[in-house]
Amino acid sequence: MIEQASKQLYDEVIKTGLCTLCGGCTGYCPYFAIHDGRIVRVHQCELGEGQCYQYCPRTYTDMEAVNQQLFGVSYGENEIGSFREIFLARTADQGIQEKAQDGGIVTTLLSIAMNEGMIDGAVETKMDDKKIPHGFIARNREELLECAGVSYEPSPVLEAINRLPKESTEKLGFVGLPCHVTCLRKMKLSPSTNRANIENVRLVIGLFCGWTLAHGFHQFMKEHFDLAKAIKFDIPHHPAHSFDVYSKSETQSVDLHEISPYINKACSYCIDMTAEFADISVGSGRAMFKGWNTVIVRTKAGAEILDIAKKYHIIETQSIPAESLTNLKRASLNKKKRAIRDIISMSGSRNDLLYLRLSQQLIDKLLA
Amino acid sequence: MSVRELRKDPLNIIIAGVGGQGNVFMSFLIGKVVMKSGYSVTIFDNYGASQRLGAVASHIKISKEHFNTSPLLHGGDADIIVGIEPVELLRNLTRFGNPEVIAIMNTRPVYPIGVISGELDYPNLNTVIQAIRRLSAQSWIIHATDEALKLGNPIYTNVILLGALLGSNSLPLEREILEAVLKEELPKAFDMNVAALHKGWNLARGQ
Amino acid sequence: MANIEIDAPGATQLLLGNEAIARGALEAGIGFATAYPGTPSSEIMGTLAPIAKKMNIYAEWSINEKVAFEAASAASLANVRALSSMKANGVNLIVDFLVNLQMTGIGKGLVLVVCDDPGGMASSNEQDTRPVAKWLSIPLLEPSTAQECKDMTKWAFDLSEELGMVCMIRSAIYLSHTRGNVTLGELPHGSSTASFDDSYDIDNPKQSTYTCGMQFHPYKQSEELLKRFSKTPERFESSQFNFYEGPHTPPELMIISSGVCSTYAAEAVRILNLQDRVGMVKLGTTWPLPERFVTRYLQRSDKVLCIEEIAPFVEQSVMELAASFPPDHPRPTFYGKRSGHVRAWGQQDLDLVIQSISKVMGISYQNRQSSSPDYQSTVNEVAQIIPARPLTFCPGCPHRASFWAIKIALQLDGRNGFVTGDIGCTAMGMIAPGSHQVRTYYAMGGGVGVANGFGQLGRFGFSQPVIAVCGDSTFFHASIPGLINGVWNKSNFMLAVLDNSATAMTGFQPHPGTGMTATGEPGNKVNIEELCRSLGISVEICDPFDLTGTIDTLLRMLRDEEHAKVLILRHECDLVRARREKEKPYKVYVDPARCIGEECGCDRFCTRVFSCPGLVWDREAGKAMVDEAVCAGCGLCADVCPQRAIVKEAV
Repeated sequence: MIEQASKQLYDEVIKTGLCTLCGGCTGYCPYFAIHDGRIVRVHQCELGEGQCYQYCPRTYTDMEAVNQQLFGVSYGENEIGSFREIFLARTADQGIQEKAQDGGIVTTLLSIAMNEGMIDGAVETKMDDKKIPHGFIARNREELLECAGVSYEPSPVLEAINRLPKESTEKLGFVGLPCHVTCLRKMKLSPSTNRANIENVRLVIGLFCGWTLAHGFHQFMKEHFDLAKAIKFDIPHHPAHSFDVYSKSETQSVDLHEISPYINKACSYCIDMTAEFADISVGSGRAMFKGWNTVIVRTKAGAEILDIAKKYHIIETQSIPAESLTNLKRASLNKKKRAIRDIISMSGSRNDLLYLRLSQQLIDKLLA
Repeated sequence: MSVRELRKDPLNIIIAGVGGQGNVFMSFLIGKVVMKSGYSVTIFDNYGASQRLGAVASHIKISKEHFNTSPLLHGGDADIIVGIEPVELLRNLTRFGNPEVIAIMNTRPVYPIGVISGELDYPNLNTVIQAIRRLSAQSWIIHATDEALKLGNPIYTNVILLGALLGSNSLPLEREILEAVLKEELPKAFDMNVAALHKGWNLARGQ
Repeated sequence: MANIEIDAPGATQLLLGNEAIARGALEAGIGFATAYPGTPSSEIMGTLAPIAKKMNIYAEWSINEKVAFEAASAASLANVRALSSMKANGVNLIVDFLVNLQMTGIGKGLVLVVCDDPGGMASSNEQDTRPVAKWLSIPLLEPSTAQECKDMTKWAFDLSEELGMVCMIRSAIYLSHTRGNVTLGELPHGSSTASFDDSYDIDNPKQSTYTCGMQFHPYKQSEELLKRFSKTPERFESSQFNFYEGPHTPPELMIISSGVCSTYAAEAVRILNLQDRVGMVKLGTTWPLPERFVTRYLQRSDKVLCIEEIAPFVEQSVMELAASFPPDHPRPTFYGKRSGHVRAWGQQDLDLVIQSISKVMGISYQNRQSSSPDYQSTVNEVAQIIPARPLTFCPGCPHRASFWAIKIALQLDGRNGFVTGDIGCTAMGMIAPGSHQVRTYYAMGGGVGVANGFGQLGRFGFSQPVIAVCGDSTFFHASIPGLINGVWNKSNFMLAVLDNSATAMTGFQPHPGTGMTATGEPGNKVNIEELCRSLGISVEICDPFDLTGTIDTLLRMLRDEEHAKVLILRHECDLVRARREKEKPYKVYVDPARCIGEECGCDRFCTRVFSCPGLVWDREAGKAMVDEAVCAGCGLCADVCPQRAIVKEAV
């Protein structure tokens, strides 16, 4: 029998450098832990089958099957995934505006969902005093605001779900990167009876993502910035070429060249820029629309929240210009192409995509 | 006071158990009684580095003719083996038992760490009893710990076994001398210990 | 149990070899006794200390064997008979002092008692200390029985004064821990008066006799030593502790044996029914050899078999003696360790000695088991079902918590850090109960000593954090100089003192940190953290049962890659606590509803990985359970269970 548990997870994902530190395998059992930006084997598990392997977004992931299950169509038909609507939006809530990364849409939508009783809490990334990201469950507006703003380091946000007691009946929202979202979908496809019911997660918001910054990036930040005073990090879009750290009094910057050594190598094997399996995907408005978010509504659950937001004018919206949409699609397609190339580089064969199952059509298209 | 003859000289006894069960004290009591009866006795308590829960075995040699015998038995040379713990009794039977050996067993197991962690198997009690019957000429199965708990404390286990040893009539132990030694060594709990002794004696006589 | 202070000459008691040694010292009228705990010697001081005051003796557990022996020597110089006892490894520590003591001589009787551990049942090694006697010209006595333990110890003091030298008694675990009939002798009355007779004399200033070198050239002192020593063989020729047992006619085989092996040999001869064919020379004085006595028997047989443990010490001395015979003198064939007839390692036992003798005599022997094939095959069958019983930490042991925290911290730290270990209960960090954390293990203080070296290798690219682990008693015994060296020479390591307020492995003797002394009188407590802080280094204290706090502290302290630092993991030994308190701290039990056992998320974490004897895996139920008879109620497992299925309720 082929074993698919912690040992195989270590050999196939961690040792090989595929691990994105999503936290899908940590927080539930004592064997793996995330510490200091690394995933650590603390003790040795002897099981032959494990949820860590099953849920990991870097073990066998049938993108086709997930997409069919969610949307009823083949994966890859659209460069930015299946969707109902795409538009630009920003919050009308001033309190959220002050804390927002861009348009404040994520915090606003979660706030609405909480007020409407659709969720009791939101699983998000929160940075601690040292600005290290952790999984956290926000259960009121203040806590949602504390989570606003992006950390560019890998965040083990899924740990917060793994730590939920089995009896928990809390309805939850979730915010994460594409790898987090994929892991969540794998959890939903094979729910465990040992854990809190994964169906408690009602609303999944995915963030656009190109890469995270790792491999000692935190140490770099500590040396170059006063992290205790930092209130926001940002990598503004082209034509800007910097990594910015905002404090109350000033903005410090370093050129992107200085941070490019810290680009997480694990991210080069990722084909999903826009969190294609989320209910709603949210990204920045790009240079033209500073202070706005790009919003992609994919599912009915996502549409419900957006409808309430629009109806009560909690958000402002505008249509996305054709050029912006073209650029977004191109960027997303490029990411897929680069990823397939890097995967084949690692596997050594066009027929071995390591952890991905894609349709042959899509593979041909990406390699063309 | 009459001194019973040794049916064999030297007479070799092993008390086998686990650290913390009072193995050493039990062998000391036997030694003292036997010495007061006019015999030469040599006792070696074999324990390793572990304070608690390690395997312990005391080798007792009783002799009229030979003084200063070797402290250890050689293979197959036990005449009586008392097991305060079942698997330790078996372990010592396989090394020191022979077709004529007499075995007295307490039924309460103490699980080795490999067993409780799930790696190893502890044989079930019936299997142990069968094995003991096959490896001994005569055997007594005594629920000494259970009886000790009825008396109020598992600490009486080894005195109950001592009583069973007395009742088995396989050692030149005089009950009067044994009670006198108990009085010297355990003055405060004398009455309870005598009760435990009698309990063990009755249990052995009943089989 | 034993009652060695009774004044009842002629009474018989059942005494341990070590108790008999203590009684022999009493009968010799000692005034001073020192020791450091070490299996199998600890019972000697353990027996003397409680009665010391009553018997007008000063008895001390010293900080280590070196100070113990030096203090005992002082008593001897001041005309007080003194005894110092230790395990074999302790002798290694006193050799420097011994060499110099030999140069100068003693005052009143001074006896060194050493207890070896053939087979290393309770030691890191199995050294034979007897060659020290040969090396340093110390008269050596080897008792074979509990009675001899007493009689030889008593005699050793007279001998020591006759010869003007320290005398050494060598016991071994199979004698020290054996109980036998001992007939008591007389106890002397009166007590010692101490005075040092060679202090500075203003009328006659000169170098003291009790010094070496300078005006007393060492080579001249060597000559004096040999002169003193040369009186010994004659004393040994007439010793009652050497005797022959066997046929009057020259036997085919002559066994030469000493120590407890002589009882094996005597019994083996009886078992093999060779009383008419084999004789035995039992030696009690084994260095120097009583040459005339031995020669008499060497020339009676063609075959000589030397049986002893551990080294071929007597064997080589006897062969040396035979080599000096003139060419026409009868010379036997020697059998023993050199020839391969006696096992050259480990302890001897009756089976092995029977084998050795059978081999030399060309006979075969079947014991009561092997001579019965049916029984033997049942034995082979039954042996399959018997589980082994390896060592583990006691339930409630704080070292389990300490090594658990260290393991997790080193894994999280991620730089392949490791532990250098030391002697005592902490040594079990080498095996599964301690998560195999201890990676090097040598001698007392060796942990911090070795860490000093590792901590200087940064210049060669070494970047692995090093934690030296020692117990509280070991800290005082030997680790302090190593720590100071690390501070002074700027080595990078952590010294983790696992302070359970006990010298536990050897039987809970006191040490400077406990504040108690051997006789039960309070001493001056020495505070470990104050001592360490006085060195100007980072010193922190954690309770290892606070796993999170301990792990955080370890992670933080290990980030310092430049300095020596100390972390004291302090929590009382559970056996000490249990003696004092009737109740366990917690009632601990497993909630079977929450326990997921073998399933994903646990994989029997508490019984398979954490592995405390109080936690049992119930295969049939598929759940863990707490064995109340074994559980110490410490509650640590409750903090370890990933499903919070183990409950601890304060009692």
